[in-house]
Amino acid sequence: MGSKRNISLAKALRYKGQASYLTYILHRIGGSALFVFFTVYLLGLLGVESMHALMRNWLFQVIFLIFGLFHAINGLRITFLDLSPKLMEHFRTAINIEWVAYVLVAGFALFVVLRNAFGD
Amino acid sequence: MEVTVKIFRYSPEKDERGHYETYTVEADPNDRILDVLELIKGHTDGSLSFRRSCAHGVCGSDAMRINGSNMLACKTLVRDVGAKITVEPMLGLKVVKDLIVDMDPFFNNYRKMLPYLINESPLPADGKERLQSPEQRARFDETTKCILCAACTTSCPSFWGSKEYYGPAALMTAHRFVYDSRDEGASQRLQILSETNGTARCHTAYNYTNACPRGIHITKAIGELKLALVTGKLD
Repeated sequence: MGSKRNISLAKALRYKGQASYLTYILHRIGGSALFVFFTVYLLGLLGVESMHALMRNWLFQVIFLIFGLFHAINGLRITFLDLSPKLMEHFRTAINIEWVAYVLVAGFALFVVLRNAFGD
Repeated sequence: MEVTVKIFRYSPEKDERGHYETYTVEADPNDRILDVLELIKGHTDGSLSFRRSCAHGVCGSDAMRINGSNMLACKTLVRDVGAKITVEPMLGLKVVKDLIVDMDPFFNNYRKMLPYLINESPLPADGKERLQSPEQRARFDETTKCILCAACTTSCPSFWGSKEYYGPAALMTAHRFVYDSRDEGASQRLQILSETNGTARCHTAYNYTNACPRGIHITKAIGELKLALVTGKLD
């Protein structure tokens, strides 16, 4: 199967794609954030006490929300378009709608996290 | 207007790695990047190497990275990219010299899609053409427009990440034949596409759709193939 790279990550990140490429990169970062989150969560379930403290840390929650929520919302957009290839012609509109949804959902989630962290 | 052009240079006899050289030329805003490169090659530095042939956006020889994105040099105007221009070879294919890349891996992937009509059925009774309706022809019209310039494949993050991935241009070629009503090789091609390095490696980054100089909606074509693989139906 092998999977040798054609170019380095640094070169790939320098390619000037458009909004869709940005969502592609953020989706990978979001996936990594989810991996970290579930690792911390599972370690917490296994009784590692410091993981509980990390889960309660507001900064950890904010970072997870910013990237994890993007991964979820972008994933929905990808799934929706994958199931309806004809709509892929409107992918730029779909990405704009996705950003609006993301700002609304992430904004509300951040508000809740920060209110819980710093009180009323 | 005065245009500053920074060009990636690489000569296998002289360089271990490439370097950039900067040239300043007088160009009209309506000049194409290809005109600017010709100007530099003709008047400043004859050793500059790049591919070009028809110079009218049909042959696909002069695809390169212009200000960071894949474009055809013969279809991109100076006014569209500004007075500071950076020209580099496409990513993901080995640089042979300056802006020329080795297209062999690209065409090898293209060949894997069996890019020819497969039809073992006897000819029609009149012994002439296998006819198809305008609607049947329209079904795959978009993917017939591909000029094999490699701008799509070399802007695809999945291709950058894997030497084995067939790449969007090859998948588009498969689409062109899979949806051709005269062709009988759809199942063979779909079998090839269902392998690890087929459509499963497409993660819809849309870089290739943005890069295509013919405006082909490549992601849509690949999406149709993905759906055909999942449902087992072409439409």
